[in-house]
Amino acid sequence: MKENNEKKQAEYILGTDSQQEWKRDYFFDPRGVGFLEPGIVGLDDSKMSAYNVAKSSYQIHPEVFNMDYLTKATGLSKDDIVKRMHRLYDEHLIMFVMNPATQVYGWGLYYWFVKLKEGTTKEEKSKLSEWYQNKDDICTGFEAKGDFDFFNGNHMRVLDNLISSVIEPWKNNPEVEFAHICPIRRDIRESHINMWDARPDTYRQDYWGGNQLEKLAKMQNLMDLKDLKLFQALNAKRPVEEYFDFEVLSRISGLDPNDMKIGIKEIVEEKRILVPVFFLNFMKLNLTNHMFVIRTFQNIPCYRKAQIADELSQIADYNVVLEFSDSFYDILVCAYNEISDINALKENISSYA
Amino acid sequence: MKINVPRKYVIDNLKYALNPASIAVVGASRYDGKVGYKVIEGLNKWGYKGTIYPVNPRAEKVHGLKAYKTITEIPGPVDLVFVAVPAHLVKMILEHAVTKKAKIAVIATSAFKEIGRGVLQDELTQYCRDNKLPLIGPNLVGMGSPYLNFNCGFIPYLPVEGPVAMISQSGANLLAALGTSQMLNFGMSFFVGLGNKADVDFSEFIAYGAEDKNTHCISTYIEGLDCPEAFMQACQSVVPKKPVVAIKVGGSQIGVKAAFAHTASENEGTNDAHYDEIFEKAGVIRATTWQEFLDVSLALGLQPPLKSDNVVMITNGGGSGLLSCDHFERMNMPMRELKDISPQLVDRIRAYMPMFGSPLNPVDISGTASPKNYKGAITQAVRDPKVDAIYGSICPTSVTDVSAVTNIYIDIYDTYKYLGKPFIMEAQGGEECNEAIMKLRKHGIPAYPTPEQAVNAIVALRKYGKIKEKFNK
Repeated sequence: MKENNEKKQAEYILGTDSQQEWKRDYFFDPRGVGFLEPGIVGLDDSKMSAYNVAKSSYQIHPEVFNMDYLTKATGLSKDDIVKRMHRLYDEHLIMFVMNPATQVYGWGLYYWFVKLKEGTTKEEKSKLSEWYQNKDDICTGFEAKGDFDFFNGNHMRVLDNLISSVIEPWKNNPEVEFAHICPIRRDIRESHINMWDARPDTYRQDYWGGNQLEKLAKMQNLMDLKDLKLFQALNAKRPVEEYFDFEVLSRISGLDPNDMKIGIKEIVEEKRILVPVFFLNFMKLNLTNHMFVIRTFQNIPCYRKAQIADELSQIADYNVVLEFSDSFYDILVCAYNEISDINALKENISSYA
Repeated sequence: MKINVPRKYVIDNLKYALNPASIAVVGASRYDGKVGYKVIEGLNKWGYKGTIYPVNPRAEKVHGLKAYKTITEIPGPVDLVFVAVPAHLVKMILEHAVTKKAKIAVIATSAFKEIGRGVLQDELTQYCRDNKLPLIGPNLVGMGSPYLNFNCGFIPYLPVEGPVAMISQSGANLLAALGTSQMLNFGMSFFVGLGNKADVDFSEFIAYGAEDKNTHCISTYIEGLDCPEAFMQACQSVVPKKPVVAIKVGGSQIGVKAAFAHTASENEGTNDAHYDEIFEKAGVIRATTWQEFLDVSLALGLQPPLKSDNVVMITNGGGSGLLSCDHFERMNMPMRELKDISPQLVDRIRAYMPMFGSPLNPVDISGTASPKNYKGAITQAVRDPKVDAIYGSICPTSVTDVSAVTNIYIDIYDTYKYLGKPFIMEAQGGEECNEAIMKLRKHGIPAYPTPEQAVNAIVALRKYGKIKEKFNK
């Protein structure tokens, strides 16, 4: 891989064949920041039925997921799995969601970092947390300590709207030192799972670092190792037809199992515009994220930046890997403080300098 | 799905759709803007006194009420199950409703037959029929009654109390009628959206309306009739007691397609004549436009049927008189001259008009008419045994005291109501006329802002007189 990169790095000159070669891996077709791509599928489209039926009924019928696969993967009985899933859901520890490729749906995906002025009190910071949590225009929010105080995100069709309805109101808070927008260039990994912008062969692959689950099982008492292995199995990459039990989905909905299978397979595997994800309520498990915000030198060409992001994504400890564009910062990676070797990760990142 | 006759178990259970002791709202949402949120908000806002059970597997509380994962977990009995979840969950919800022995299910959810899922819709309907669970909808906006303070659906307001039962396939038009009710004193007894009417049919709500004590006119907005036999049977048994009005849409070339896309109504191979025949056989009064539908419904709800064509119009405006008599003729009910109705009345009524007035019919008591002139002329007309309806008209000249004339009209109506003669009013003008219309409607007199609307109302009352005669034989 490294050798390859060096070779490409040497040949990469704008307007040459080698640049075209590189584009095969890293050039993005127009993806509709502000417009819909042809072939897009609405979230209530019949092709989405399998996902929609599952997400609305697994709380009652966890067997919408492929129990044969899960029993094999975990060694647990079906009854045990069902019982555990009920409990994990009822205790708000796991939740079945999906991550859509927002750009394809006609939105730009934006994150931003907020830094508060020195001397801002805890109470003032809490008030700001409260404020953005009640602001519909902001859909992701992390309170942070260190170089930044908040990390937020949202999807917007028009950048102006983001600026006027979100960034400006943020900046208008007198406590705010700055807010830096980071438009997403590539959504590589979220919630431990590789997304459509990861290297194609790793799409939908889920990542946990060595022994992370074991460490997690030991540090809290809400999820034992069997629960965590079940959670891991629920997210494990496999053909979509092995993900759900389409007969159960059909019994619940009355819809044709084969139609549902074909529809969801097309969306998840062929179009690659949506990834079903089991989300882990990491906060409830007393996990905190260490966010590494990486800025590359201006003389680093964009292809190299993309390669670095991919190289970092090979580290399984990271549960989030994002590549930004046209912003102060280029890459964000996150790993849990409590179950990762943060110093080693930091050293690895520093080694690129 | 087809039925041949209105089913008794369905009609018996419709009371749970409008007056349930308990409601399970499936899909009850914590988020404003969602149907499942608005349903509970509406129930609370309009004073529903029964028990509300939010059902949402993802919430612990909705609107401060304990939420249940499924209907089957609800501890008490459930009369009505209101379903506001996506189509793919409806099968499961209906199974739960049957297990719970709910009395009726109402499905607001869209995306069934109207988008090509006809087989699924039929399967669900058959399941409900097999289990004797009446199903209203799918694809509807809701139902309610101002008499019961009941507003169940995503409907922003209740209508004012009144005589018209509004049964509509279209949610939008139902809302339009409810809006009109609020703004223009168009009183309703109950209202319901039928949507795709997969199971519960027009005929069954018509039969229910016949027994409802607050209902005096049953008005139906129809996009397609799947069960014409049941419809005819229900109407034929109702019309001797109460009028039924219908507006049938989706007859135009593109309307056929639009009606299918909207409420899966099938109109291929039918035409207006086909429906004319059905309505004729059923004894139903057909309206052509939405305005006519509302005007006619109001008149039939408020007034008795008209026994003959002997209508006397008393007006202070010759123009409104002319618009009226031309429109009567267009509607195949030409006005009769006063001398032909009652020669003596001509002389009696002359006493209440200036020498330049005209006792022809329309009786023009002239633009200078005082409240006394109105009172005298109207009283003479209503007391004449050969006159069967009074049609008053006010033109707001600067010497016309519109308010006083309105009060006189109401007083005379109250005095002579026992005679069973319809009173209609037309007030064509500005704000004072609008106020008069609202006041008259409040007192049970259909009043309109144009002569044509008033004439349509009178013609409908006459039609109903004939229908009653025919079906009572």
